[in-house]
Amino acid sequence: MKEMKLFLGPQHPGMHGNASVHLFVDGDIIKRSYLLPGMLHRGFEKQMERKLWVNNIALIPRVCVPEPDINEMAFALATEKLLKLDVPERAHWIRMIMLEFARISAHLMAYGGLGGPTGNYTLMYHAHIDRNLILDIFEKISGARIYHQYIVIGGVRKDLPEGIDEEINAYLNDLESRLNEYRDLGIDNPSVVKRIKDTIMLPEAVVWELGVTGIGMRSATNKPYDIRKVMPYARYNQVEFEVPISDYSDARSRLDIKIKEVQQSINIIRQCLDKMPEGEVRVKPSRGQSMRWTVPKGYVYAPVESSRGEFGYYMVSNGGTTPWRVGVRGASYPQGLLGIEKYLPGTRIDDAALWVDTMGICSPEIDR
Amino acid sequence: MNSISNLEAVDNIINSTGKVIKKEPISDFQVAYEVNKSDVHQILTSLKLEGWKQLSYLSAVDWPEENKFELVYILLNWDKPVYIQIRAKIDRENPSMNSIIPIFPGAKYYEREAHEFFGIAFPGNPDYKKQLIMEQWDDIPPLRKDFDPRAYSDRKYPSREYPDNFSKKDKENESLEKQAKRRKRARKLRTGGEE
Amino acid sequence: MISTKYTEKKKFNKQEIDRKWWEVGDYFRRNSLWLLMYCTGCCAIELPPSMTSAYDMERLGMGPMATPRQADILLVSGYLSLKTLRRLIYTYEQMSEPRYVVALGSCPINGGIYHDSHPVINQLDQYIPVDTYVAGCMPNPESVLNGFVDLMEGIKNKTANGWKKYHKNYDWYKKNQFDVLGEVVIDDEFHQ
Ligand code: SF4
Repeated sequence: MKEMKLFLGPQHPGMHGNASVHLFVDGDIIKRSYLLPGMLHRGFEKQMERKLWVNNIALIPRVCVPEPDINEMAFALATEKLLKLDVPERAHWIRMIMLEFARISAHLMAYGGLGGPTGNYTLMYHAHIDRNLILDIFEKISGARIYHQYIVIGGVRKDLPEGIDEEINAYLNDLESRLNEYRDLGIDNPSVVKRIKDTIMLPEAVVWELGVTGIGMRSATNKPYDIRKVMPYARYNQVEFEVPISDYSDARSRLDIKIKEVQQSINIIRQCLDKMPEGEVRVKPSRGQSMRWTVPKGYVYAPVESSRGEFGYYMVSNGGTTPWRVGVRGASYPQGLLGIEKYLPGTRIDDAALWVDTMGICSPEIDR
Repeated sequence: MNSISNLEAVDNIINSTGKVIKKEPISDFQVAYEVNKSDVHQILTSLKLEGWKQLSYLSAVDWPEENKFELVYILLNWDKPVYIQIRAKIDRENPSMNSIIPIFPGAKYYEREAHEFFGIAFPGNPDYKKQLIMEQWDDIPPLRKDFDPRAYSDRKYPSREYPDNFSKKDKENESLEKQAKRRKRARKLRTGGEE
Repeated sequence: MISTKYTEKKKFNKQEIDRKWWEVGDYFRRNSLWLLMYCTGCCAIELPPSMTSAYDMERLGMGPMATPRQADILLVSGYLSLKTLRRLIYTYEQMSEPRYVVALGSCPINGGIYHDSHPVINQLDQYIPVDTYVAGCMPNPESVLNGFVDLMEGIKNKTANGWKKYHKNYDWYKKNQFDVLGEVVIDDEFHQ
C-alpha cells in the first residue's frame, strides 16, 4: 500500500495545544512522524531581554500555560541566585504550596486528557471539575485563576489570606477520598486498560538517549530521579515525601505514577500547612531605583521539577537593568521533538494522541 | 551524598581532558567552565563516560561588543547531582561549531534551534539548516542583539490607532497635555531615557 | 379584541419572505452555536472549565465540534503567530456560512502583551472579520460565556455579519493576508 500522509493537529480534538504531528502511514501503522512546532512561538526569549527584571514577572507565566507557577519559581530562583538574595522562611513554604497545587492541577488535566483519545469523557469531566476547584483556591490566594504572578523575586507577593487553611484542607480531603474513583475510571477501567497497557513503551535506553526527564524517566529507570529529592530547592528537604517509581514504562504505568504523585503532593501541602512559620514573606531586592534595579553579572541555570520533568531557566546577566539572555529549557523538548521523530514510527495511528498525552508534552514550552 | 567531593571529581575530569580558561563555582550543585572551542567535544565525551549522561540544555549567548557568540552546554548527572555548564566562545562572523550529535543524539533539535535563532552553523547535524520554529523568516536571526523586534513588528503588522481621548480615567488629569506628559513619562521609564 | 372583519391577506414579496426565513434560521442558529476547537493561544486554557461541569456551556446550546465543516463559530483563543494565522485562515475559509468569529483576550485586539514581539500579529481584524471581542488577559469563564451571549444578541440584531463583510471586502482582506504571510513556498521535511 502507498504511504499516505495524515495530520494530527493543529486543529484536532485529540491534540493538546496548538501543535501538529505529521504522520506518514501505511495502513494504520506509522512509518514516519514529525512534530511541527512553532505555532505558539512569540519570541519569548527576545521579549524578556527587553523588559526590566521586575516587568518580566508579568511575562514569564505565559511560557507554559497548564502549569504557570514553575516558570515563576525558576525565574525567581535564578534571579535570586544571581542577586545572592535570601528569601524569608515563610515564603519558601508558601511557594511550595503553590507549586504542589500547580502540579496537582497539571496532573489532573493530563489525566483527564486521557478521556479524549480513549473516548472516556466522564473522566475528563471529573478531572476538570476538580481542577477548577484548585483554580478557585488560586484565585483566593493570588487574585488570578491561571496566571498568578505570585512567586516574585524575593519571596511571594503577599501573605496567604486568612482562613485559607481550612479551605485547602477540605479540598485535599475531598480529592484524596476520590483518588480511587479516578483509578477506577481511568487506569483500572477495563475498556481503557486495553488501550493503554503495553502500548507506547519507553525503555530505559531510550530515556538516556533522548534525555527524557520527569515521569517518563522515573517510570523506566526505577530510580527516584526527581529534582525535588536530588537537588532540593525551597524547603523540599524538610518535608517527607516519596517519589513513585516503576521499572516498566508503558502508558498505564506512567498514568499510575501521575495519580501516585497527586497523593504525594497532597501530603506535601498538608505538611507545609503544619510546618509553616510566621513572619515576613517578601524582601525587596534593593539595588538602585525602585524598579530599575540591577543584577550583578553572572551565568546561572535554575532547574525545578515540573509535572513533565526538569524545567529550567538559563539566565545571563551583564550587570544591567534587563536580563542579557534568558533561555528556557522546556521539559517536553526531548520527548516532543526527537521522541516523536524516532520512536513513534512503528506504532499505530491512535497511539500518537496517547503519546502526546502520557509523555507530557506541552507545546507552548517547546515553541516559546 | 557529598556534593563537595562531586565538584572535585568534576574538576579532575575536566582538567585532565582539556584546558580550562575560567572556572566559576555557582552553587553546591552547579559549576561552570569556560573552555576553548576545540576542547568541547573531548570534554563532553569524557563527562558522558563518567556519568553526565543527560544534556539538559544547549544554546548560545550573543556578545556583540566582543564580536563573539558563546555556546553553552549544560550537563547533568543524576547520581552525582552536579550541573556542569561548559561554555565556549566562537567567532560572530560565519559562526560554526561541529555538531555534538555523535555524543548526545538529543542535541539535534537544540542545534537546529540555535541555528534558527542565532545563525550558527552546525556541520555534522544533517538538517540544521531547516527552519524549525518560524516559517519564512525574512530578517536576521531574531535572537541576535542587533535585531529589534519592535521595529520589525511596527514595519510588518499594522497596529491599532486609538484617539487621544480614548480612555478617560479621572476628571482631573483629563486634559490632553497632562495625558501626553504621563505617556511621555511612561515611555521614558520603559526605555530608560531615550525618546 | 380581534376584529372579525375579513381583510385580504397581505402578500409578501420574495425579499420579505427571505428575510422572515432568515429570522427563523437565526433563531435556531443562535440557540445551537457549535464551536470549532482550535486552541490558538493561551486563552484556550479557560475553555475546558467553561465547557465542562463548572460553567457548562451546553446549557446555552453550545458544544465543541471537531471539524470546521460542522462549526458555526471560529474561536480565536489568544495570540496568533504568523504560522498559526496561516492555518487559521485556511480553517476559516473551510467553514460553511454563516460563520462567526469570536476573539478571546487582548492579544487579537491590539497585540496585548506581545504588541512588540516579532512573530505575533497585532490586529486580527485586518485579516479576517471579527464579530465579538472578549477583553482580558485571560478572560475568565464568566466573561467567555458573556461573550457568547453577546454574539447571540448580535445574531439576533443582525450586527454579527462579519462573513458578509468578508465577501464584500474580499480583496482587501486577501491583500492584507498576502502582505503579512507572503507566498506559500513550503519546503521542509514536514512537507516532502
Ligand atoms: S490575552 Fe493574555 S492570556 Fe490571552 S493569549 Fe494573550 S497573553 Fe495569553
